[in-house]
Amino acid sequence: MTTTVAGPPGAARAHSARGREEHRPRRAWAPYLFVSPFYLLYVLFMLVPVGVSLWLSLTEWVGLGTPHWVRLRNYRLLATDISFHRALGNTAVFVLVAVCLVVPLALLIAQALNTRGLRVRDLWRTAYFVPIVVSPILVALIFGLIFDRQFGLANAVLRSLFGTGGVDWLGDPNLARISIALVMLWRWTGYLTVFFLAGLQNVPRELYEAAALDGAGRLRTFTTVTLPALKPVTAFVVVTSFVGAAQIFEEPYLLTGGGPAESTLSVTMFIYRAAFQRQQFGYAAAAAVVLFVLVFGLSRLVNRLLGIGRAAS
Amino acid sequence: MYTPPPPPPPSPPTRRALLRGTLGLGTTAALAACGGDSTTPRTSGDVTLSLWTHDPGYEAFFAKGVPEADRATDFRYHLKVTRAGAPDIVTKLLAQAVAGRGTPDLVGFEIASFPRMLRGDIAERLLYDFTPDIEAVPGLKDDLLPARTAPFSKDGRVYAFDSDTPMVVYFYRHDLFEKYGLPEDVATWEEFAEAGARTHRDHGASMCVVSTVGSDPAQVVQSFQMLLYQRGGTFFDAAGNLLLDSPEAEEVLRFLCDGLRSGFVVEVSDYYGAGMQTALKRGRVIGLPMAIWYKNYGLVTNVPEQKGKWRVRALPRFGNGGGVTAALGGTGFGVVKDQANTRAAREFLFRTWLTHDGQVRRFTETGYLPTRRSVFDDPRLGAYTDDFCGGQRLFRLYRSLLPDVPPFHQSPDQSILYDVLGGNLLRAYKGDLSPRQALRRTVADFRDQAGR
Repeated sequence: MTTTVAGPPGAARAHSARGREEHRPRRAWAPYLFVSPFYLLYVLFMLVPVGVSLWLSLTEWVGLGTPHWVRLRNYRLLATDISFHRALGNTAVFVLVAVCLVVPLALLIAQALNTRGLRVRDLWRTAYFVPIVVSPILVALIFGLIFDRQFGLANAVLRSLFGTGGVDWLGDPNLARISIALVMLWRWTGYLTVFFLAGLQNVPRELYEAAALDGAGRLRTFTTVTLPALKPVTAFVVVTSFVGAAQIFEEPYLLTGGGPAESTLSVTMFIYRAAFQRQQFGYAAAAAVVLFVLVFGLSRLVNRLLGIGRAAS
Repeated sequence: MYTPPPPPPPSPPTRRALLRGTLGLGTTAALAACGGDSTTPRTSGDVTLSLWTHDPGYEAFFAKGVPEADRATDFRYHLKVTRAGAPDIVTKLLAQAVAGRGTPDLVGFEIASFPRMLRGDIAERLLYDFTPDIEAVPGLKDDLLPARTAPFSKDGRVYAFDSDTPMVVYFYRHDLFEKYGLPEDVATWEEFAEAGARTHRDHGASMCVVSTVGSDPAQVVQSFQMLLYQRGGTFFDAAGNLLLDSPEAEEVLRFLCDGLRSGFVVEVSDYYGAGMQTALKRGRVIGLPMAIWYKNYGLVTNVPEQKGKWRVRALPRFGNGGGVTAALGGTGFGVVKDQANTRAAREFLFRTWLTHDGQVRRFTETGYLPTRRSVFDDPRLGAYTDDFCGGQRLFRLYRSLLPDVPPFHQSPDQSILYDVLGGNLLRAYKGDLSPRQALRRTVADFRDQAGR
């Protein structure tokens, strides 16, 4: 038999109060502890590199030894560097392709995939989504074979259809840009389609019924019901496409190496080339800062234009 | 029975204690990470050399050389090999050097990646200078081919030893040359081009190749570079000054552009890819100038069924001067300085890479030609016959080419030159620019970008 001797009256209450007091500090630091991993990683892998890049952009550094302080010299050189200007121009073209071609095409495909009664819908969805999960190396290899001037599939098709097929897809500066744009279309459209499809499936059915009762045709329904309902999704897709295309690297790097004659050189490739082929780390950092400022500023502008983050009126 | 009240729960750490703990842990980790490797030099005994290379052939060569090095030195060697892409090796080496630890002892620099080591004082800070050691070994300085030390030198100091003397020769289809009635001993490129134009017209075959792969400016440049070096031109002098704007360069570029118009020269997108393979298999390309290693990496791999049909000869001369060969490619092995294993790595390299027997073994195992003049006279190499080339005794040819192998220098701005020259060569091939304009524009673009 066990006998428990109770303490003096009021001891339990006092103990409970002490417990609460002892627990209070734990509650006070617990939230900080929980959020600290994010901030620690954010500082380590975001703020510190950004700060170091900024500092490095004001120096000349070959990758070893002490960086030499040059103030704004790298920025001045960038302002007169034809190669950098070309990279900016090419990147602008890629951004336009992403925003003005890939995004609308993705919307149209999503609309088609969302049609009632579409057979083997899942097969279509998978087919459109597959390019984004294919390794970029494989994509470059396949498109390299397709666009080969003498023995490529594209020219073979042209030859068999029109009797002419000596098109230098990757060797001609303008065609090389078009080839990269085609690869971007093939690779990214299906991925963006998924976002639009998710948005379309959330448009209330009653809105379509109301539009039908009002006698709206397909085009009218699309412009007055679908598009407004998709505005938040569209805004998200446009901004992410813009940011992604502004930092495009894999497609031109693997397919054309930025050539011919820098006609497909993107700004990120310019940065990579300066840092890891030419050992001009300060110069590369300055180009990276310029790219960051441009992308950040323009995406803020796009955010504002599309009203992202603002409550619906 | 009395049961005491439960003990109070341990008090949680205060914010200050938590901060102190985190700082302490962080400092310990940082100090541990910053601590460099020991640099006390090892002078004998067991040593594990860290070797970085992009080519498994070198890995096998050095592994087999361990017993030989053990016998000849006071060390007992073990190798720890890391393989990476050729450009990545330089990037990783510099990253480890900045970190102050984890650098290799022995590094293989593919020749096109070495110019990065020439930027600023990277080579001097990081690599062991072999110049005094070369002078200390009797006869070595005169025996080493200057053509193969120059690309890995800076200010007269040698920082790596090349793996090869990659002479440029003319590969051709013996059977098709016979079939088309083409003489195999044509003396000059000019005569060769005339015969090539006829062959293209009559048989649709070409006898020379230029690469137009837009994604690889270095490969585009190679086609031009080989003939430029043969003609007596060069890209850079020993001080790194650009010498491209020369009559030799213009002559060679004009020769290639004219060849493209006549069909004597054909464009291929890639020397090693599907386009070239198709051209070789269909007999559209029946000959090309290339470095000797192309036999293993381009011909044997792409058209193994054509074994016995290929032959090798010296390049035809240019009527206006130059030699009968050039050099293209190579991989230099260097030793990282001021490390515990620096001496061991240096001795290992000297006892495997540079010995007479080591150079013979290197050829038999990897196919790379010796870099010491005297080794070319070795009877074992003289007796070597090449089955792919119809049993030709190639060393007789190689020995005859040796005096003509031109030395060339590399510049830290080489990748800039390749980028701008590659684009302008393509424009010249297409006829958008004349050879003169292409070279002038290259020089102007190079000056605009170099030194930033």
